[in-house]
Amino acid sequence: MDSFATIVSVIYQFATNGAFLLLSAVGLIVILGMMNIINLAHGELMMMGAYTASIAWHRNVPFWLCVILAFFVVGIFGAVLERAIVRRFYGRELGALVVTWGISLILSQGALAVFGPFLPAIPIPGGSVAVGQYSFSVYWLSIIALCGVLIAGLWALYNHTTIGLQARAAMQNPAMAKALGVNTDRIYMLTFSLGAGLAGLSGALFAPTVSIAPFMGQQFVAPAFITVVVGGAANVITGAVGSSVLLSLVKTPIGFVFGAFVGTVALLFAALIIIRLMPDGISAVLQRQIDRRNRFA
Amino acid sequence: MARVPHILKLLSGPEDIGRSRWFWAVFIAACVFMLVYPRWLSEFQATNLAYYLLNVPIALGLGLLWGYCGVLSFGQVAYFGIAGYTYGIVAGNMVGDDFGPIAGSLCGIALCAVVAAIFGYFVFYGRVQNWIVPILTLVLTLLLETFLGQTAGYQWRVGSVQLGGYNGMTGIPGFQLGSHVVMGYDFYYYVLIAVLAIYLGLRLLVNSRHGKVLLAIREDPIRTELLGYDIRARQLVAFVLAAVLAGISGLFYVQWGNYITPSQVGLLQASLPVVWVAVGGRESLLAVLMSTVALNWLNYTLSSEGYQYALIITGALLVVVMLFFPSGIVIALARELPKRGLFGRRKGHAA
Repeated sequence: MDSFATIVSVIYQFATNGAFLLLSAVGLIVILGMMNIINLAHGELMMMGAYTASIAWHRNVPFWLCVILAFFVVGIFGAVLERAIVRRFYGRELGALVVTWGISLILSQGALAVFGPFLPAIPIPGGSVAVGQYSFSVYWLSIIALCGVLIAGLWALYNHTTIGLQARAAMQNPAMAKALGVNTDRIYMLTFSLGAGLAGLSGALFAPTVSIAPFMGQQFVAPAFITVVVGGAANVITGAVGSSVLLSLVKTPIGFVFGAFVGTVALLFAALIIIRLMPDGISAVLQRQIDRRNRFA
Repeated sequence: MARVPHILKLLSGPEDIGRSRWFWAVFIAACVFMLVYPRWLSEFQATNLAYYLLNVPIALGLGLLWGYCGVLSFGQVAYFGIAGYTYGIVAGNMVGDDFGPIAGSLCGIALCAVVAAIFGYFVFYGRVQNWIVPILTLVLTLLLETFLGQTAGYQWRVGSVQLGGYNGMTGIPGFQLGSHVVMGYDFYYYVLIAVLAIYLGLRLLVNSRHGKVLLAIREDPIRTELLGYDIRARQLVAFVLAAVLAGISGLFYVQWGNYITPSQVGLLQASLPVVWVAVGGRESLLAVLMSTVALNWLNYTLSSEGYQYALIITGALLVVVMLFFPSGIVIALARELPKRGLFGRRKGHAA
């Protein structure tokens, strides 16, 4: 049974790293895929999600409800942000990067001024299960499962709803979608709001595992950006999943042998090499495969 | 000496604001003023004045890269830190040797150029999309901060110099020319002359043929490439040059304060050059120069009075400028004021 337990443990290591990368990046990728802009306030939106969860949890709200609350609070905030500021920067990618960076400065420094240097922590829910000589955190196992649910939900949203169809149309050709009566403005707002909400959700989910502080977003920013760069913007779901799987394959063994920091450095080098080979990211390569198969089908 | 009028014409070429006789008169007057001004200042005040100037090279480098070449980098402070730490290590190990500081400066700049060249090779020769360069440069600087932050303890030392973890590296020797230590008033003049030389040199560059090619890449990379220019190599050269300029600011910083900490390459510091360049106006070197000095003065004044909202103000300034003055405040003023007839014909601005 020992070898079985070891295999489970290795899979668990890969899956937690993959889930971490996926959750850190998914909100960013949703926005990037639609509007081709990177939201540099992403880390601060995750911080807002964690703050929402912490404040609600300490008012005796059950944890699962805190997470859902974080999704909606940050999602609504994202919609406001899009209407007020980000909307003016469509088509100006670099301008959008800079202005969202300004927003991130205001949010993190504002949180410091309003809430002080930290908020009370949330204990990790759930215990652990043992397989052979290894024990696994139930909480991380649920996060891994939740990633699957999240991706399935996103896939259903994009492929089986009218709004998803309109969103894909607006991604492929905004001018044509608009001409055919799609309200692209509304799609953009909903997408940005969804991306922000997902950032808030991830922030709330990570909240029990880290200290909740104004600058907590920073630790997610580097892995999230690398995941997005490797994933590319051609297809939200293949990009997010493909890139987190690939990077987890890099990070897990290197992090296991040399420590977490070297693992993250290895991610940067992997990203540099991958963009040299696939400049538009792994999603563009996968998308070409899918298109080719569809053509011959 | 037929080249002198040619150079003057190039210097006053169309790629920066301030080209009239009036402007140059004001500019020269401002330079003379900056040269004699320390006579009325204490040595301490002159050193503070040098601090406002020492960030100008990193900002001008980013202005060149973003405003003239269309490549945005959020990680210029990484090169600032690389140069600063390298100088600290090399000069710190050569204490007593008169050439230590010069060797440290050269090593710092060389390492910046090498790191930027390797990094730039992957992004520019991969022909990545516009948004990838700023993201990856930001990741580079964040990783550098994390690395430097965990270098506390005795095992993290190079020769006799300790890296010092989050407390940073202390006791970095000042700059030395021969046996003469450059400090106080001398340090101010050293920084001032370097900054003026860099500004005028870059102004020559952007008005030269090479500069026009950079502008063409910004306007339309594919068309420029079809005209036969290797845009990858040109972008790489501009990227390395900007890194070297950021490194020069890093050298000035450690020579000024004799210490450096990992937070100098952190997220907050990384945002500052972008703010200086965006607020002034990225498409003008002069605008970048002026806003960098002004905002450094503002930030120093705000934070030295213990004003905790300094960074919120900085962030708000960035958002407001991007919303209402997308080309920058100084450029907007330079375009609007002559139209309103406030200054007669085009007039320059004193720095």
